Amino acid sequence: MVRLPYLTALTTLFSYGLLFAFGQLRDFFRKIIDWFKSSSKDLKGYAPICLGLEDFYTRRLYLRIQDCFSRPIASAPDAWIDVVERYSNDNNKTLHRTSNTTKCLNLGSYNYLGFAAADEYCTPHVIDSLKKYSCSTCSVRVDGGTTDLHTELEELVARFVGKPAAITFGMGYVTNSAIIPVLIGKGGLIISDSLNHNSIVNGARGSGAAVRVFQHNNPSHLEDVLREQIAEGQPRTHRPWKKIIVIVEGIYSMEGELCQLPEIIAVCKKYKVYTYLDEAHSIGAVGKTGRGVCELLGVDPADVDIMMGTFTKSFGSCGGYIAASKEIIQYLKYTCPAYLYATSMSPPAVQQVISAIKVILGEDGSNRGAQKLARIRENSNFFRSELQKMGFEVLGDSDSPVMPIMLYNPAKIPAFSRECLRQNVAVVTVAFPATPLLLARARICISAAHSREDLIKGLEVISKVGDLAGIKYFPVEPPKHETQSHKKLE
Amino acid sequence: MAKLYAQTAPPMDMNKNTEWFLYPGVWTIYVLILLLSWLLVLSVFGCTPGMAWTLVNLFHFAVTYYFFHWKKGTPFAEDQGIYNNLTWWEQMENGKQLTRNRKFLTVVPVVLYLIASHTTDYQHPMLFLNTIAVAILEVAKFPNMHKVRIFGING
Repeated sequence: MVRLPYLTALTTLFSYGLLFAFGQLRDFFRKIIDWFKSSSKDLKGYAPICLGLEDFYTRRLYLRIQDCFSRPIASAPDAWIDVVERYSNDNNKTLHRTSNTTKCLNLGSYNYLGFAAADEYCTPHVIDSLKKYSCSTCSVRVDGGTTDLHTELEELVARFVGKPAAITFGMGYVTNSAIIPVLIGKGGLIISDSLNHNSIVNGARGSGAAVRVFQHNNPSHLEDVLREQIAEGQPRTHRPWKKIIVIVEGIYSMEGELCQLPEIIAVCKKYKVYTYLDEAHSIGAVGKTGRGVCELLGVDPADVDIMMGTFTKSFGSCGGYIAASKEIIQYLKYTCPAYLYATSMSPPAVQQVISAIKVILGEDGSNRGAQKLARIRENSNFFRSELQKMGFEVLGDSDSPVMPIMLYNPAKIPAFSRECLRQNVAVVTVAFPATPLLLARARICISAAHSREDLIKGLEVISKVGDLAGIKYFPVEPPKHETQSHKKLE
Repeated sequence: MAKLYAQTAPPMDMNKNTEWFLYPGVWTIYVLILLLSWLLVLSVFGCTPGMAWTLVNLFHFAVTYYFFHWKKGTPFAEDQGIYNNLTWWEQMENGKQLTRNRKFLTVVPVVLYLIASHTTDYQHPMLFLNTIAVAILEVAKFPNMHKVRIFGING
């Protein structure tokens, strides 16, 4: 459900129209000026790098606010982060780094459990493994790149997620885009949620299977699409599909919404299709013991055929994993190109994940894992409810650590981002084409490393900047007498 | 005044170039931009209202013909060029013809033509130019012209 004030929709469309018109005008004059200046002789006969207008958006819209994106950082992405200052002499076309840094409150990193900075249990183990195994295995998994750390990690991940076996890869994006073509090919059907991540879209396109889309988080529409596709069969021959896979995500990173997993699994079981759950943002961050969206929504992991996740978000490392039955994992080990040809995960990164999972499970001998999980839930609910009380339009379900604040107008994106940076709060703003054109947003990621004072400072700054930028689209709730109702966490 | 909110289900168009047209408020802003540009032309050139409507009609013809029916592809590279042979009109709503949005966009040039020719009292040079503008635009929007390239122009 997309809900926006009508006047804002009109002004946003008008602003984009104006930006587009000015961009086209500047392109027109650039073409005239370049036609007068004769082209250099060396490039005669070469094809142009960009076909038609496909770089228009980058040149005329993205480059104008380039300083809001790709900000270099100079420290670990903890609750507070050092952002490198940059300046530009030609109106943001090129940016130059200075050697100054500003310490800012970090509301943009996926540091859900606070493992991104040095941790008292993980870091000594990581340094030991760095000394013992060095920083790279210098080999692919299938040749000489499987250390005992890798096998230990795979067993641990399988146990943590609740599946019989698991396999890990060096990069999270590649996990999706290299696995999906191996699981399904021509003659198969992939039905994916309309707001799935680019890695899934890439994997689906590379597989050669037919791809259909169902309305975001809408199990009844999924059922309609399934019934239509199963009845029609493959295009032109109308033979039955060889395989049908439904791909959904646990938490959608641009909306902060949880997937309606029980209903979707029920629909998939009814029509006997396979399910693929991408838990990149939910593993380790939601659920009573951090086991992800299956635990939170009460779904048996045995009902989901393939569970995918990444180690980048909650575990403070890099890489991705797939957890499934032993037969599937064995099959993947001898077909997946990311296992056969890509370098294996770096051993210190593997050790970081092993230590982080041990902390979450409480196997390191303390209850820091349970504390972190409770803290992130508390932090997310507090921050979200405060923002909503101030009148911001915040998306996402409660308990989800990702909260997008809607901006809508294109001019508010750099305004919000730059003003927050000036007040020492680092936020991430997202615009077209990662989100639909009208729905630009600032995405806040809460971490267990944020203390209550940090959150209150963040709220003050965001409230002030929100007033300046005019993004409090909903009516402000009047302050009522707060009888502190502590929600009993089931 | 209480704030008016518009609420829709998110449109399912995968093509980010045309998806924005399915959101609420597009028709309103389109008409409002035309009205605003008429006022702008009147204040800048100080001509008769009929001449202003003719100018708006011709300018609207030039802009919409160029961007809807001439330029092909999308202004960003993320879709890997799968729409590189289709104009914006052909990409709209995945090529489905005679939808509500297409009908709206077909009616607007006709209404503009009627207003322009009425306010100029059907006098000669303006009537001729207005008629050519509306004829070309309407022919380009016929469902039978989907993916048709006359004489291979713009192929």
